[in-house]
Amino acid sequence: MPVPGVPILDGLYPSTLDLYPLEAKEFNRIHQFYENLRENRFTTTKCKKCGTTPFPPRVVCPKCNSDDLEWVDLPTKGKVLRFTEEVAGVPHGFDSPLIHARIELEDGSKLICRIANCQAGELKEGVAVRLFAYEVPPMIVEKRGGVMEEVPRMFFAFEPVK
Amino acid sequence: MAERKACIIAGGMDRWGVREASIVDLAQEAAKDCFDDVPALKKEDIDGFLFASSYCGRTSFQVNPAPVMAERIGLKPTSICSRLDTLCAGGSSGIILATGLIRSGMADVVMVAGGEKLYTPQRWETYYSEMASIDHDWDGAQGMGLPPPFFSMTAQDHMKRYGTTKEQLAAVSVKNRRNGANNPNAQFQKEVSLEEVMAARPVVPPLGLFDCTPITDGCAAVILTHEDKAKELSDRPLVYVRGTAQASLHSMSMNWNGESLADWVHLRAAAKRAYEQARVKPEDIDVAQTHDCFTISEIVEMEDLGFCKKGEGGPFVESGQNDFGGKVPVNTDGGLLSCGHPFGATGLRQAREMLFQLQGRAIRQVEGAKIGLAHNLSGLNVEHTILIYGREP
Repeated sequence: MPVPGVPILDGLYPSTLDLYPLEAKEFNRIHQFYENLRENRFTTTKCKKCGTTPFPPRVVCPKCNSDDLEWVDLPTKGKVLRFTEEVAGVPHGFDSPLIHARIELEDGSKLICRIANCQAGELKEGVAVRLFAYEVPPMIVEKRGGVMEEVPRMFFAFEPVK
Repeated sequence: MAERKACIIAGGMDRWGVREASIVDLAQEAAKDCFDDVPALKKEDIDGFLFASSYCGRTSFQVNPAPVMAERIGLKPTSICSRLDTLCAGGSSGIILATGLIRSGMADVVMVAGGEKLYTPQRWETYYSEMASIDHDWDGAQGMGLPPPFFSMTAQDHMKRYGTTKEQLAAVSVKNRRNGANNPNAQFQKEVSLEEVMAARPVVPPLGLFDCTPITDGCAAVILTHEDKAKELSDRPLVYVRGTAQASLHSMSMNWNGESLADWVHLRAAAKRAYEQARVKPEDIDVAQTHDCFTISEIVEMEDLGFCKKGEGGPFVESGQNDFGGKVPVNTDGGLLSCGHPFGATGLRQAREMLFQLQGRAIRQVEGAKIGLAHNLSGLNVEHTILIYGREP
C-alpha cells in the first residue's frame, strides 16, 4: 500500500483489513467453494437429509440442522434486472466505474453482484451475464517455524456475455 | 413483582460532523450534555451502561469500549456494562435492552450512549473501513460495503414500478435540510433548494450528493429509568417506551425477501409488532423520526410503516404530508440528511428528539405531540428497528 504508516506494520499482512474471505482451508470450512471457482463452477451446499440448497454455502443446514451436506452446481448464466455504475467514491481495491447489478440466474434465483469486464454506459437491463471467476491477492499464512506461505485465492463476479 | 414501566428521562448529544476529537472525547461530551438535561440525577444513580458503536474496533482500534467509556464519563455500573453493535440501529438496540432490563427489575437507571469516530487520519481508510459494514465474505469482496449502489437500485425499482420521480426524492432532502437548519448539533445547518438538490453532482444515479447522508463523527446519550424514579427526578411530563421491535429476515443481498428492492418485508414485520405492542395504529403517530440514510429510504418507510399506501410514498412526500402541518411530521430535527450518521448514535439522537417533542421542548415543535415513532434501518437493509414512545404508558 503506497501510504506512509506504522513502521512496525511495514511488510506485514493485516488480515483484519483484507476485503476477501480468508479462504485457506486452515481458516475456512467452505474452502471447496473457492476451489470450485477455479474450475469456473459456481456451487453451494445441499442438505442430503432435507434437500435445502441455500446460498451462500453452509456447514450446517439452516432448515433441519443436519451437517450431512454435499456440493452442488448453481447456474453460471443469468440476466441483468437492475444495475448501477458508481463513478465517485469507489473504495480502495476497486476500479472506477464500479458496476453492480441485481441479476436473475437461470434457475430464477436473484443476487446482487459486481459486474466485471464492462465499461460505463455499456450495460443494459435484460442483457445476459455469466460467471467470471478470477484470482485475487493471496493470503499470507504463517506456517510452522514462522515460514510465510502465499495461499492463492479466487473470487467471483459476473460479466456480460459478448 | 408487577412489571415496571420504562421511561426515557434525558437526552444529550455533541456537535456532529468532521470532529477534531477521539471517540473517547465524543462520548464524554454527549454524556455531559445528557446529564445537564436532568440536573437532579447524579452519576452515582446510574447502575447500567450500554455503549453502542460499530466502528470503535476498526477506526479507533478499541474493542470492549463500554468499561473505557464508563470510566472516562465517571460511571460505576453494577447491573450491566456492555457494548452493542447493530450498525445504524445500535443506539435503538440499547434502548430496547435497557427497557427490558428496567421493566424486569434487573436494572434501575441505565445510560445508553454511543457513536463513532469514523474519520481516520487518512481518508482512504475511512471509506475502506465502511466495507466492513456488510456480509464480509460475500458482499464486501464484491465492493458493496458502501450503500449508495444498493439504494440506487432501490430507487430505480421504486421509480419504475410506481412512477416515483427524482423531484419527489429531492423533496425529502429539502424538507430534512430545512428541519436541520436551526439545529446547532447537526452536521449540515444550511437549507438546500429543490433546484440545488436536482443539480447536485451524482453519487450513484439517480442519487445525487444531497440524496445521501454523509460520513459523520459524533456521540449521543440517553437515560432511561422506571416510572417512579422518573417522577422523582424531574417535573417534566413522563415519556414512556410503549413498543419496540427489531426484525431481520435475511442477512445479505443474496437472500432478499421482497418482491422488488423497494418492498421491505422486514420493515412491515417490525412495524406490525411495534404497533401491536404499543397498542397504536400508524394514524395515531403524531411525530416520527425515520431512517433517511437516502431520500428513497424515507419514501419507502412512509409506505411500509403504514403512513401511506404502498407506492404512494412519492406523492406523499411531495405534497408535504410528512412535513409540519401534514399527516405526520418526519425527521423534525433534520434527520440523517442534516444531522449526519455516526451509526451507534443515530437511534439515540432520534430518542432525544422524541423525548423533546413529547415533552414540548423541541427546537421545531410539533404542537401537542403525544405519540412518537423512531425507526432505523441497518446496513445493506438487513434489519429494521422501531421504538414507539408515548406520553401515556
